[in-house]
Amino acid sequence: MIEKIVNPKELRHWDGKIELYWVYTSGKAGDEFFKKLKEEDKFLAAKCKKCGKVYFPPRIYCEKDFSETEFVEVSGEGCVRAFTVARLDAYEKPLDNPEIYALIDIDGTDGCLIHLLGEVEPENVEVGMKVKPVLKPKDEREGRITDILYFKPL
Amino acid sequence: MAVGKKDIECPPYAEGTPLSDEDIKEGKVTYVEDHPDIRYSWTAGQAISKFLNGLKEGKILGVKCNKCGRVMVPPRMFCELCYKPIDGWVELKDTGTVETFSISYIDPDAKPLPEPVIVAVISIDGASPHMGIMHILDEVKPEDVYIGMKVKAVWKGEEEREGAITDIKYWKPVEG
Amino acid sequence: MEVEKISGLKFHKKQDVAIVGAGMTTFKRRLNETGRELSYLAIKQALEEAGITIDDVEMVVMGSAPDTFDGLHMKSEYLLDGSGGSDRPYMRVFVGGGTGVFAPIAGYWHVASGLADVCLVITEEKMSSSYPHPQSAFKYIWDPILDRPLSPNLIWIFALEMRRYMHVHNIKHEDIALVSVKNKANALDHPCAQVAEKITVEDVLNSEPMALPVRRLDVSPPSDGAAALIMVAPHIARQLTDNPVWVTGVGWALDTTWWTNRDLYFPRYVAEAAKMAYRMAHITDPRKEIDVAEPYDPFDYKELHHMEGLGLAKKGEAPILTREGVTQRDGDLPTCPSGGLLGVGNPIAATMGVKACEIYWQLAYRAGKRQVAKEVTTGVCQAWGDLMQVGTVMVMSNKR
Repeated sequence: MIEKIVNPKELRHWDGKIELYWVYTSGKAGDEFFKKLKEEDKFLAAKCKKCGKVYFPPRIYCEKDFSETEFVEVSGEGCVRAFTVARLDAYEKPLDNPEIYALIDIDGTDGCLIHLLGEVEPENVEVGMKVKPVLKPKDEREGRITDILYFKPL
Repeated sequence: MAVGKKDIECPPYAEGTPLSDEDIKEGKVTYVEDHPDIRYSWTAGQAISKFLNGLKEGKILGVKCNKCGRVMVPPRMFCELCYKPIDGWVELKDTGTVETFSISYIDPDAKPLPEPVIVAVISIDGASPHMGIMHILDEVKPEDVYIGMKVKAVWKGEEEREGAITDIKYWKPVEG
Repeated sequence: MEVEKISGLKFHKKQDVAIVGAGMTTFKRRLNETGRELSYLAIKQALEEAGITIDDVEMVVMGSAPDTFDGLHMKSEYLLDGSGGSDRPYMRVFVGGGTGVFAPIAGYWHVASGLADVCLVITEEKMSSSYPHPQSAFKYIWDPILDRPLSPNLIWIFALEMRRYMHVHNIKHEDIALVSVKNKANALDHPCAQVAEKITVEDVLNSEPMALPVRRLDVSPPSDGAAALIMVAPHIARQLTDNPVWVTGVGWALDTTWWTNRDLYFPRYVAEAAKMAYRMAHITDPRKEIDVAEPYDPFDYKELHHMEGLGLAKKGEAPILTREGVTQRDGDLPTCPSGGLLGVGNPIAATMGVKACEIYWQLAYRAGKRQVAKEVTTGVCQAWGDLMQVGTVMVMSNKR
């Protein structure tokens, strides 16, 4: 058996970075959804032609029976299924104002969305609370999920 | 459409919507960008640590396995063929032979380089045959490089060496 | 050629495995669809050809190459719903470029072991998410301490191997360029092709130098795409068709990461994998018994390199076969009749579409304009991956 290095100063390491840049396209269904939201203020969901399940956000296929879906319009309103209040940011530094993230069941669909809640204090949020979306002004929209600023109580 | 019918052509259709670079730049489709900043600190391990320390002192170190008799470089803690710990360290010469080479006109991101770079696999004298490391050749014209050419390492000055593979600046042909 | 004993390997299996359907999307540099949508499109085609629905599928194997291209950790979980993985056993396999043939091998295990009677194999790749060029992701394949400080590009390792191969067998670049000319011309008959075109040897030799001896027309492009296969047990195959294509042999092998310690002129990893597959398939003389081959051709010299590894040509003989026209579609050993990666595109794992799926379509006589001229019984497809490490081989036959 040969001797191993035990002096930490002689053990070497190498620092480096992984630098990458990604562009994620929204896909066929995503493109339709974001363009409709950006230009016409409307929300799209997708209904399976075979089993009738309504997907939100929309997809071009039904994951259960693999048949095609068709786009249907929904109001975008929903109710809070669960929520959490964040007081630290992603680097564990305290936030100036707490942020409320909620899982929102969207009316008329079998799907839900994660987004911010706004115009409400954390103490007043309840599961089952009805909410509706507030969008950015039209000229600021970019075709992303952040075109919805937050959901506010009805 | 059962398998075995000889009059059907497959694949029957090619689905997919091609995009060009301009489609993305002009925003014809929606997309999201991300640019992560992931940092690493890789441990060199026992064997490569000693190898890097050796490079700092101006030496190339290899290891020996008594069972298969190979002298290996870059060094490792165990012989991967016999699957047992190695039996000792060996100091190798800093000369070698070009096993294969290439003249590269591109950088790691596939962008053109101002001057071509000659990269080679160099088997080190003192190690088993064909035991090579990858490194750069210089002080030679690309058209003069050939497989079997004898080369010698050109080291950085003692104060500049930091214990990295770049402590050897490049390899140059041995005269005569 | 004598059959060498592969000690310790026993090929016990519960049931034979047949392929009854395949599908693929178009291969292009950049596709709008997300990875999930691409998987769905390929699977839809495969299910249509097989004549079954997603409910008949019992297990799913998904193959996809590094998460770095898509920019998504846990890529297989992300792709699950588009890959038919909801509510059924689902697994991912990944061996770099070898995944194109390794995913169907993993599908083979599912059915041959008796754990499933119908297994769906799906491979997908979306390299275009890596912006502006997927090459940036490739640079992290190199060792961080010994290789990356020298600023290498992945093309370097191919160039070093190509130089060694040319030197040992004294092969000229003109003979290697013939492969690029052949494959790009073959791909003109493939509906999903990305870079099919009629070129000449001079075009290849005058194209932009990347890392000599590799020039731009020697290389296959990065692509987006997906491909799918349906593998079933014999009693299911009987219900669906009279002429299934059987998987008769599988093999896979990897060589060490210390690629600078190996002599690169011969792909030992392919030879080992081929030994295993031929032993299973009872093939003793591959040159005579294989009717059509799809070796992996990310670079033109790689087709020749792998042909020798697969035993389809003696060492150094593959360029001679190419020059004499033996590897053309109307030759005695048609090689890459689909157009391969050089003609159709290189979406790493989804290359299953031009390797395993192509051999299946050739043996089922459904390749249309690409169908080879001779009668075909046995075919072999092969994939390669990583730093000159992975060899995966699959032998198929339309007779049991």
